Amino acid sequence: MIQRKLTLVMENKPGALARVVGLFHQRGYNIDSLHVDPIEDFEPFRFIEDELGIKFQVGEVSRLTIQTTVGDKLMRQILRQINKLIEVIAVSDDENTYLKGILRNENLL
Amino acid sequence: MKIAGNDILIQSLINEGVEYIFGYPGGAALHIYDSIFNQKEMQHILVRHEQGATHAADGYARATGKPGVVLVTSGPGATNAITGIATAFMDSIPMVVISGQVQSHLIGTDAFQETDMIGVSRPIVKHSFTVDKQENIAQIVKEAFHIATSGRQGPVVIDVPKDITNPDELFDFNYPEKANIRSYNPPIKPENHQVSRAVDAILTAERPVIYAGGGTISSNASNELRELNELIDFPVTNTLMGLGVYPGTGKRFLGMLGMHGTYQANMAMHNADLIIAVGARFDDRITNTPEKFAPKAKVIHFDVDHSSVSKIIEADIAVFGQVKDSLQAINNHLRSRKDEINKEKLSPWHQQISEWREKHGLDHQLYKNNSDEHPILPQAAVQHIYQESEGKAFVTSDVGQHQMFAAQYYHFDEPRKWINSGGLGTMGFGLPSAMGVKLAYPEEEVICITGEGSIQMCIQELSTCSQYKLPIKIFSINNLALGMVKQWQDMNYEGRHSSISYEDSLPDFVGLAESYGHVGIKITKNSELREGIAKALAIKDKLVFVDIYVDPNEHVYPMLVAPNGSLKDMWLGKGEKT
Repeated sequence: MIQRKLTLVMENKPGALARVVGLFHQRGYNIDSLHVDPIEDFEPFRFIEDELGIKFQVGEVSRLTIQTTVGDKLMRQILRQINKLIEVIAVSDDENTYLKGILRNENLL
Repeated sequence: MKIAGNDILIQSLINEGVEYIFGYPGGAALHIYDSIFNQKEMQHILVRHEQGATHAADGYARATGKPGVVLVTSGPGATNAITGIATAFMDSIPMVVISGQVQSHLIGTDAFQETDMIGVSRPIVKHSFTVDKQENIAQIVKEAFHIATSGRQGPVVIDVPKDITNPDELFDFNYPEKANIRSYNPPIKPENHQVSRAVDAILTAERPVIYAGGGTISSNASNELRELNELIDFPVTNTLMGLGVYPGTGKRFLGMLGMHGTYQANMAMHNADLIIAVGARFDDRITNTPEKFAPKAKVIHFDVDHSSVSKIIEADIAVFGQVKDSLQAINNHLRSRKDEINKEKLSPWHQQISEWREKHGLDHQLYKNNSDEHPILPQAAVQHIYQESEGKAFVTSDVGQHQMFAAQYYHFDEPRKWINSGGLGTMGFGLPSAMGVKLAYPEEEVICITGEGSIQMCIQELSTCSQYKLPIKIFSINNLALGMVKQWQDMNYEGRHSSISYEDSLPDFVGLAESYGHVGIKITKNSELREGIAKALAIKDKLVFVDIYVDPNEHVYPMLVAPNGSLKDMWLGKGEKT
């Protein structure tokens, strides 16, 4: 078990954060730390815009970083469960990224 | 044309092709009910309790494949719907639940009949919406139906504050053609290299089993599964949720697997060298102790949901996508390599399975013994129901021993005919879900196999059946106790029967049914069983409640030995273990 960081890009909508936090409790995972803020500098996220053919507007999306202490197998499961949340656009751990539901074997965020 | 919020909501449902909406009115939903009154395209079914509404919509969805739709008011209306939403969620059933909410400016003030429905339902929905303004109603309804019916299906809640449906404020209405949700993209097509790896494994297997679950039914992939099996001739087992996806009377069918699965199905899984999991999720009622599950098997897992794969049992080959598309891809690939398929190679395996079946398979001929020297066996009651309905009925069930007997002894040859709460295990599901099925298929035989415990959890819906003239056939397997709990107490608590009996407080079910205008039949003797069941099924225009008194001491077998058992560790009878 080691501490790992998850990064999410998600729609900045009412209740969206509660879905992420609720999922951790519901599935028995633990949150060591949580940070969330609206994305203002879109430069690192241009690849998402290109991939989805959209343009982010200021205030529309947030970045979440979550630290959690788990083993490999559970980490993969957490990533996949988060990816299922409808408002999550992209989620990465150290090795993988789900971008709009599609798995990439690299950390893109 | 400009219309009000309540009409926008109802017109949106009509645009989605909704035929029936199951619900119960109340303060926060009154504007919506006024819109329902003013239209004719969609019929509202007034239930007697909101749990009944959700189960009825769920039954409709399971039988038709179309989403079930529910309308409830705020507060207690919404919370009463929760059990039904959770039931649909656990079995991945498409459903859209519209809940009234107090007016926007009252939210958070503990107003009359206010509940945070979005908060309360969050862990048991695929997604949920609060309607923030009238201009967004149509788009939200479109998105809700899209989410509920695509990918891994599930229930979606739309919470609608009362002011949003105010009939005095008018807005433009254009129903969107497509739901574009930029953050939602369920996988559709399987990847070629995974398909080709799966085919390699299929071609080299010597002791394979196909293990097909409810996802195969959701994906309407029954034909593709049957085509696959014509190509490769593998033994097939179904989960409780998958029954019917492969013919129950099919030559290669092993029966259900898992906790109360057949001996041959569990033995085949345990000894397999290849398990092909199709739309199934390896839950704890299937695997027994995961570390001891199928020790020699390679696993191919077909699923639309990434998070189901390798959650419990590590998959060697994962094929993501709609199961229907994945099976089509596999079948096409197999056809192109037809000369490599060697069915002969499987004969020792089929032989082994036949031996298991001979040795400890279920006895499907119990119904032939109609002697009054012993009480009615619940298994024989189900066998008679199967015989008399010619195996063609839709069968809903509640939860407990009767459910397992129905799953073991009623053979389903078609998908969507067996309607039960597999994941959540909700008592009270059987009767209201049968209402949804009967509304969808009024000409078909719809049977509810229940118990005297479960039926009382939603028995108020007998009144709904009377109002809408739904001639369902209810067969209550009455063992005068909460049978499955009693079985566990017999097996694990030295027969201490804690809180499983109603003593003498059971109602006269025949009289109860008659008081609602239905027909009641009571059967207490073996010699009356066949005739009583046949008589009930012959009554076409009325609901018949058949109260069948069975042996109160019967247990469901086989039963997996837990904890720490594998799939080969089963109880085969009282005191008899593998």
